Amino acid sequence: MGAAFHDASLLQQMLIGALLGLSVYLPLSCGQLSLATPGFYAIGGTTAALLSTRVPALGGGDPTYPLSSVMLEMAVAALVSGLLALGIGKLVLRLRGIYLAIATIALVEILRVTTLNQEALGGAVGIFGIPQPFNNPGGYAAFTLVVLALICWLFARLEDNRTGRAMAAIRDDELAAACQGIDTAQTKLLAFVFSALVAAITGVISAHFFNSWNARLGNFDASITTRAFVVFGGSRTWLGPVVGGLLLTALPELLRPVGDLRLIVFGLVILVGPLLAPQGLVTPERLQGLGRSLQGLRRAPGGGEPTEALDPGPR
Amino acid sequence: MTPPLLELENLGVRFGGLQALDAIELAVQPGEIFGLLGPNGAGKTTLFNLISGITPPSRGRVLWRGSEITNLDPSRINRLGIARTFQNLRLFHSLNCRDNVLVGLHRQARLPWAAALLGTAAGRRRQQTLRDQAQHLLELLEIGSLAHQPAAALSYGDRRRLEIARALASGPELLLLDEPAAGMNPSEKEALRLLIRRLQSQFKLTVLIIEHHVPLMLSLCDRLAVLNFGKRIALGTPEAVRQDPQVIEAYLGVGGVV
Ligand SMILES: Nc1ncnc2c1ncn2[C@@H]1O[C@H](COP(=O)(O)OP(=O)(O)OP(=O)(O)O)[C@@H](O)[C@H]1O
Ligand SMILES: [Mg+2]
Repeated sequence: MGAAFHDASLLQQMLIGALLGLSVYLPLSCGQLSLATPGFYAIGGTTAALLSTRVPALGGGDPTYPLSSVMLEMAVAALVSGLLALGIGKLVLRLRGIYLAIATIALVEILRVTTLNQEALGGAVGIFGIPQPFNNPGGYAAFTLVVLALICWLFARLEDNRTGRAMAAIRDDELAAACQGIDTAQTKLLAFVFSALVAAITGVISAHFFNSWNARLGNFDASITTRAFVVFGGSRTWLGPVVGGLLLTALPELLRPVGDLRLIVFGLVILVGPLLAPQGLVTPERLQGLGRSLQGLRRAPGGGEPTEALDPGPR
Repeated sequence: MTPPLLELENLGVRFGGLQALDAIELAVQPGEIFGLLGPNGAGKTTLFNLISGITPPSRGRVLWRGSEITNLDPSRINRLGIARTFQNLRLFHSLNCRDNVLVGLHRQARLPWAAALLGTAAGRRRQQTLRDQAQHLLELLEIGSLAHQPAAALSYGDRRRLEIARALASGPELLLLDEPAAGMNPSEKEALRLLIRRLQSQFKLTVLIIEHHVPLMLSLCDRLAVLNFGKRIALGTPEAVRQDPQVIEAYLGVGGVV
């Protein structure tokens, strides 16, 4: 029982890692070095914590908190962070490279310090006793898996059509993209807002899963860790940050047996990964290679299962 | 006489102390192949940057079909029907050739939200049509077999062709070609000359072309302008320009004429 409990809980954290990876990935995939994800994640978490503990009508007193209320919190969190991202994005996306990174770190810090100093938002202590829609980590993991699958599917669709191509073009050469008639400002803003929505939704799930929420959960450290998910996993297809988020969240836990050494090993992986694979672990080329060899297997008698999901080629 | 497609009125560009372009007057007629000649640093690329909205002029106006487009941004200008290639090649390196052209098809590629998100049969058919269109453009430029190669893997000449394919994809009326034959050998240059003529008549294009190879320009262009130190020093038919004393001087230097 204890092991299963622990496994599901780890899985849940990995899934949250994957979602945050996707959030960081989106601006990055069109060349915008935004580190704002933890800020919007915190907005999601705070929104969920406040609504579920302060609005009795949502069912905080029930034995199990209704899922419909979680969805409602997601909608509110998405709306709040989406609007904020729209306003902030219009301003900061004029900045480039490291300047954008600094501006978004400042945003994360402003949100953190504001929460810290507002008793109404939880203050320094945080908000406790957030009601539980599931009575075990397995329930959370299953729910989060559905959310992740849905978002992955949206990302895959996005990359398949003109907006995704426009984002890739902007990443490669913004000026040339503009000269092809792409509204670069609008495309970057879209990526920034979408990124905020994903982060906010993830924050809502996390708040319930953690049972409590405080300002420290969306800080500068989280900016760097989530950024590492994408660097490690790869920023050229949506599968990269998913793999990066899953693996890098699991790694410290898996390394627990080696004790204090684990932080060193973790650091080394983050350091060596990009050196060995500068484009990240998952790239479109590698996926294509994998797709081809799997197709070969499928044709051979007794070969593996059909793997539609991994085949990025034209269908 | 038909009104000009593109008009430049008293255009000037300053970079700090450098007058890169000075009082340029130019009118390009629909359907013509118009050449820009001039020594290195004469301001030819700057003129393209100005027309395509990359560099704002310090003075003067740009008119497109009679209305002013002087301070529009590059994407607006492209959407009005002006596409360009880049002298120093600005392809989308991580994309393959076909996707580079598909980016050029951006404006046509709009799908209803539902079709794009759900990947409906209609949406998929539309995507296939776009891919076919891109492939067709690559074939016109004779690089059809390279569709799935990353742009970064192409030879220099093929990259120049891909730049043209991508520019054509956005459906321009006016095509700006910045040294499309640079780095090509004489037979490739001749092939390119024929190709530009063919594209021009097939797509009913107006072409503004920069190129250093004078014989190519004299045989390709309907009219030519010559720039030197940011000033337009000659304008006219290839025959007239070739015999212009100022042009001879600019190319051979003062006292260079024996
Ligand atoms: N963005 C810029 N900032 C400052 N100076 C510039 C800029 N762009 C061009 N220049 C200068 O303006 C002058 C004209 O440059 P331009 O690139 O237009 O020449 P060109 O005629 O295209 O030459 P080439 O045949 O070598 O391509 C050059 O002296 C160049 O150094
Ligand atoms: Mg030039």
